Amino acid sequence: MRTVLKKILTAMRGGVNELGEAVVDGQGNRILEQELRDAEQELKQAKQELAALMAEAASLARQIRVEQDSAGKREQDARKALAAGQEELAREVAERIVGHERRATELTQTRELLQQRIAGLKERVQRAEKQLADYRRELQVVKTNERVLRTTAQIDTNINSNQSSLSTAKETLERIRDRQAREEDRQTASASLEKELTGADLDEKLKAAGIDSEQDAVNDVLARLKGNQAQ
Amino acid sequence: MDTQSLTLALGDATHAGRTFDVMPVAGDEPVLQVTVSGAEETPVYITVTDTQILCLAYLFDTQELNPERLHELHENMLRISVPMPLSALGKTGDHYVVYGALSPTSGTAEIMQELVTLAENAIDLLQTFEDYLA
Repeated sequence: MRTVLKKILTAMRGGVNELGEAVVDGQGNRILEQELRDAEQELKQAKQELAALMAEAASLARQIRVEQDSAGKREQDARKALAAGQEELAREVAERIVGHERRATELTQTRELLQQRIAGLKERVQRAEKQLADYRRELQVVKTNERVLRTTAQIDTNINSNQSSLSTAKETLERIRDRQAREEDRQTASASLEKELTGADLDEKLKAAGIDSEQDAVNDVLARLKGNQAQ
Repeated sequence: MDTQSLTLALGDATHAGRTFDVMPVAGDEPVLQVTVSGAEETPVYITVTDTQILCLAYLFDTQELNPERLHELHENMLRISVPMPLSALGKTGDHYVVYGALSPTSGTAEIMQELVTLAENAIDLLQTFEDYLA
């Protein structure tokens, strides 16, 4: 992953033409994709091998148990033969027991070797799985980088041909300010429209001219009250 | 989600009082230019890959910046990138961009949220970093 990231950064810093970089990355992609396929293949094989070895180990364990059981049973037989004074028969049984025990030992040795191979293979599978995840992550970075470069190149070309050029930040800021000013104007306008509709603006103007109908009404009432009192 | 279904979905949709104007950008790559109402100055570009939906808006180009204050600008961009909702700051070619990446399984609502946020963030960022322009 580190090498991929460094490669991308070096390509970027060089200020190389963007489409040129994309071509280079395209080759990188193919190499990575091949590595990914190889790692996937290796993982598949290792897993198959592992499954076969584990099945073999299980079968060996079963065989060892059978030999041990048989030896155990024959030992009882031998004891019975000795108790019955059948020395000759007991010897024959003892020979069988030796055979079972020898086979059990041989099988156990084979199984131990097998278990070592299984442990090694499990490690290989884990390594392959980790490497596969690494490759996938690298490929994702390379592909995304390539896509971003192509996409921005495409936007540049299109906007360049449609308009004069991609607008500069200053032009954009100018347009943002224009819109924000328009929005403010609209808000002010709608606020004054509201006043007009409710008549609040006229009341304000009358008040400013010293004409306050509310105050006049109060004064009228007061004058009437005073008049009544005087009578 | 691909660009075609996005075009159809965004065409008549509204999100948080915004509408979307979608225009495909001609070329080999499937790219959409989306203009969000109320933030028309900073169109957002969308492209969909196997692993993500990438949305980005342009801020400024290297040539537009005051070279003496470049380091300070970079420092501030890195700092502001972390707390900014749903967007990060980056650079592609000579363009400084604000972008957001979504999972390809995202629904229309998430994408619209991203588009609105990104367009508004782009405006805020431009106005914030205006002093660094040459």
